[in-house]
Amino acid sequence: MSEDTSPSLVLPRRQTPLLPEAGAAGAPLMTVLAVLAFIASLALAGYLMVSRAASEWTGDLSGTITVQVRGAAPDIVDQQAIRVMTLLDGFPGVVSATRMSRAETLELLEPWIGQSNLSADIPVPVNITAEISPALRQDLSDLRTAIAGTAPLASLDDHGVWNDRLVRAAGKAQSLAFIILAMITFATASVIVFAARAGLAANRSTVEVMHLVGATDKFIADQVQKRYFSLGLRGGAIGAGLAAVLLFLMARLGVKGDDVFLPDIQLDSAMLGWLSLVPLVICATASIAARVTVRRILASDIH
Amino acid sequence: MSTPPFSPAMAANKIIEMRDVTLSYDEGAEVLRQADLVMREGDFRFLTGPSGAGKTTLLKLIYLALKPTSGTLKIFGEEVSDLNGKRRPDIRRRIGVVFQEFRLLDHLTAYENVALPMRVMGLKDQDYRADVMELLSWVGLGDRVTAKPPVLSGGQKQRVALARALVSKPDLILADEPTGNVDPEMGGKIMQLLLELNRLGTAVIVATHDFHVVRRIPKKILRLKEGHLTLHQPLAELQGAANT
Repeated sequence: MSEDTSPSLVLPRRQTPLLPEAGAAGAPLMTVLAVLAFIASLALAGYLMVSRAASEWTGDLSGTITVQVRGAAPDIVDQQAIRVMTLLDGFPGVVSATRMSRAETLELLEPWIGQSNLSADIPVPVNITAEISPALRQDLSDLRTAIAGTAPLASLDDHGVWNDRLVRAAGKAQSLAFIILAMITFATASVIVFAARAGLAANRSTVEVMHLVGATDKFIADQVQKRYFSLGLRGGAIGAGLAAVLLFLMARLGVKGDDVFLPDIQLDSAMLGWLSLVPLVICATASIAARVTVRRILASDIH
Repeated sequence: MSTPPFSPAMAANKIIEMRDVTLSYDEGAEVLRQADLVMREGDFRFLTGPSGAGKTTLLKLIYLALKPTSGTLKIFGEEVSDLNGKRRPDIRRRIGVVFQEFRLLDHLTAYENVALPMRVMGLKDQDYRADVMELLSWVGLGDRVTAKPPVLSGGQKQRVALARALVSKPDLILADEPTGNVDPEMGGKIMQLLLELNRLGTAVIVATHDFHVVRRIPKKILRLKEGHLTLHQPLAELQGAANT
């Protein structure tokens, strides 16, 4: 063997894939996978933000109660509010109690009555918020009875109605995001099944030669699976990366949700961790769908 | 035609055992009619016949690309008429085929084409690199290892195809017109290599139109005509007998 034909000198280190690159179909397919990964990433981000917000809402609300003292006579309202504060201060399970000032209460009423200055003699309810223990949260009946006996004008709001509504709303948003993720997984698998069938048909003569020199169906399926794993990983990484960039820019530009219900956009490490799973799911879906498709076709073929 | 019973002892060194095999295409045309063929280790046969007689089809039957319509076909002692997909690769790995139309993969280099049978067996490049390079050098393509088939001449492609058929050291070599696209000198070298491998115990079938090759090499001849497969004595011996 002459020196200039030494394998180490002339042969590339990397072996050419046995099945030709997807070629014309490769770039569009990767684009489709990137778009699917992008949408999946945004749906996942939405799911996570709603989950976090719902957790904060329900956590905030379930750990507090509000006692409202209402009446036409401000003096009586004030006296009963003081009695309620005294009761709450010594009641087992009440961690703290805070009486909202008239200004704070008016601020809460702003959405309904506007910012106009109200006359001082117009009655405004007194709101007392109290932080309570989980044990007391389980059974508020004793506290409710005690408040009714101490201050007949007072009513206890455990935020149950709001809590339930928020949980239901968050659940619907989460379900929607979950359905979107499931549909994207299904769409990814469908696209890959179609592409794998077309790819196998286009490479039929190559597959025949591989069979004729002793390749097993498993070996050929491995080659196809590798191809789609790589394609899925690249497409998924591009899509998830673009989604992360978009979320980052929105967070940096201060794009906020609704002040009351919708959460602000945050791109923290936990969110990035979840988003990094998207390319893995896309490439796992792609490679499994490709493998199953190819094995089925080869099993039904005489070769 | 009576079919003799097979026995394990008889089958031990039989490479091909074909009994009463008929092969018909879907449209009903019979390519093989009740053909019998037995080849053992170290046998060498030329396969001749007019164009379209079915020589390539017979080879396809042997390398399991076709199934007989009826009859019994054993390769390496194993009945293959209705072989499942899992066993087929094991048998094919013991057969080296030089296809008439080469069947090289255009996206692979000459080196990678030759290495293909080793690669599909799951071997690592370093396990077969020296063998592949030696074969390529031997067929005169040591300086074309990175060339891809589209830039190779017909003769070069044929030599790559030959090297690919030999690289796994098969027990049976099927060569379909192996000298059809090479110059006489290379044709002679190819036949010498096949004869050398045959001398070491490899069974060889060479399908050819090349009368000069058949006449020069004293090996038995399978003749396929109108579906009938017949075995003849070497042409050289017949000529020698006629001359004496």
